[in-house]
Amino acid sequence: MSYIPGQPVTAVVQRVEIHKLRQGENLILGFSIGGGIDQDPSQNPFSEDKTDKGIYVTRVSEGGPAEIAGLQIGDKIMQVNGWDMTMVTHDQARKRLTKRSEEVVRLLVTRQSLQKAVQRSMLS
Amino acid sequence: MQDRLHILEDLNMLYIRQMALSLEDTELQRKLDHEIRMREGACKLLAACSQREQALEATKSLLVCNSLMTRGQRSPCRGRVCISDLRIPLMWKDTEYFKNKGDLHRWAVFLLLQLGEHIQDTEMILVDRTLTDISFQNNVLFTEAGPDFELRLELYGACMEEEGALAGAPKRLATKLSSSLGRSSGRRVRASLESAGGLGSSPILLPTPAVGGPRYHLLAHTTLTLAAVQDGFRTHDLTLASHEENPAWLPLYGSVCCRLVAQPLCMTQPTANGTLRVQQAGELQDWARVHGVLKGTSLFCYRQPEDADTGEEPLFTIAINKETRVRAGELDQTVGRPFTLTISNRYGEDEVTHTLQTESRGALHSWMEALWQLFFDMSQWKQCCDEIMKIETPAPRKTPQVLAKQGSLYHEMAIEPLDDIAAVTDILAQREGARLETPPPWLAMFTEQPALPNPCSPASVAPAPARTHPMPWGRPRTFSLDAVPPDHSPGAPRSVAPLPQQRSPRSRGLFNKGPPRTWLQSPV
Repeated sequence: MSYIPGQPVTAVVQRVEIHKLRQGENLILGFSIGGGIDQDPSQNPFSEDKTDKGIYVTRVSEGGPAEIAGLQIGDKIMQVNGWDMTMVTHDQARKRLTKRSEEVVRLLVTRQSLQKAVQRSMLS
Repeated sequence: MQDRLHILEDLNMLYIRQMALSLEDTELQRKLDHEIRMREGACKLLAACSQREQALEATKSLLVCNSLMTRGQRSPCRGRVCISDLRIPLMWKDTEYFKNKGDLHRWAVFLLLQLGEHIQDTEMILVDRTLTDISFQNNVLFTEAGPDFELRLELYGACMEEEGALAGAPKRLATKLSSSLGRSSGRRVRASLESAGGLGSSPILLPTPAVGGPRYHLLAHTTLTLAAVQDGFRTHDLTLASHEENPAWLPLYGSVCCRLVAQPLCMTQPTANGTLRVQQAGELQDWARVHGVLKGTSLFCYRQPEDADTGEEPLFTIAINKETRVRAGELDQTVGRPFTLTISNRYGEDEVTHTLQTESRGALHSWMEALWQLFFDMSQWKQCCDEIMKIETPAPRKTPQVLAKQGSLYHEMAIEPLDDIAAVTDILAQREGARLETPPPWLAMFTEQPALPNPCSPASVAPAPARTHPMPWGRPRTFSLDAVPPDHSPGAPRSVAPLPQQRSPRSRGLFNKGPPRTWLQSPV
């Protein structure tokens, strides 16, 4: 999944719908993100392309809302509730996921196993 | 006996065919026509009835069928339509957005949504040039929609007077701004001051407008129909209604993004239920008794009626979708069993057929009627019947609030960043009191001295300098976002350090210090 700036991006995506969990005053999703256009992409252990500045899932809490919804470590988040996540800063990404007024977030994520599965089925 | 069964079966086929005609579902009709042609010969049996009672019975059935056929047009079921996550992108001229010229124009906007006779409005949002999109948090639900619905969306806006923008700013800042107003508003302010004639005191005092209250103008509109419904986010075109001369004109990009979903009632409510006897695969004589519930695209067969309510798993489920074929009566397998129907589904190369027996002729008619209504609804609601689209109950409406004061340095003022460091530190001093004994970390950018250890390792302990306040410009909001439960024991290290997360992106925005060297991780 290498990106040429200015060119449209195609990816096979999986829909993940996360219902936030209320912990006292807070609504949490139960995972961590890494990446952003203001971050150093060469340190991303999950990306195939080391210039990819996208937002990746770096940790999923066991039994948390994200795990229940099917989010996996290493997933790249493409979109959150209609908002693009491929060209955002780290802080913007965090904000888009943690809006207090939203109890459900609908993510579009892509993962390498998905891409490979689709490629394999297309060849056969 | 056999003849009578033949006749009844063919009359049923005729009945079904007529119903399909009224549904104008040519696909279904083609299949049925084929069936009928195959059995056409058997119709002649009626004429060949030698027994009087056979003829009587047959004629009676025919009459019943006729009356059913002339019952009238079928209408599709109602549904719930919900629109949410509405977002309208704005397109400011770069001179306005980046260079912050002139005073801050503000607009009040809201959306009116109309479906049929029902009109709902969204919350009112205040817009100024710091926003890139107008984003509404509302979930708007309409409950009585038909598949031919038209959802009209109208965006209204009203321009707010300049006095509102300046009134909120702290006095010292306001003084700075008033001496550098933009050309047109500056002229207006001077004119009003001259007309007010030496009122003295603060130059910020402006006269209230003569007309009471803001005037809303229609800025844009569009109409959404079933074709726009999808279980996902889509962008639609807006028809712009006002032009630049209009006082309320906003630079709209011309699109609206939203999530528009529809839940037809046939997908969420059961449309038929009753006792059925299902023929087991391969066992011609073995028929299991079940309680069938037709809901959405499935016929659930439960062991007993109570199971449907208690949430027990059904014994098995038969799919009913656009490709399913339903027939009344299948003679060969149902010798001695009247009132049967078959449901066939194609899975790749295989065809799976279930044969069901209903309790009576009336029951058979009810089931057939329910199935035909379902097929009709599916043909009308189209993609809404592929899978149930989720609708969240609309969140309670918050009272309209002014553009929320974010409580951060950035949102409090709009000055040239490299301009006046004295003003920045002044404001900081005001907010923190006299508490800045240690210089704030970002000041290190000026002095070229590293003030803090490298924030690269996310799992590390919080920075060494002990502080009563973890951050120089206190953003309490950050703490609430940590997934780690707050540890109140005094000396315990935090496994997530909020300070490095918040500091790096913002400081880099202002002072470009080369390529990013961190790869931060944040819990959400």
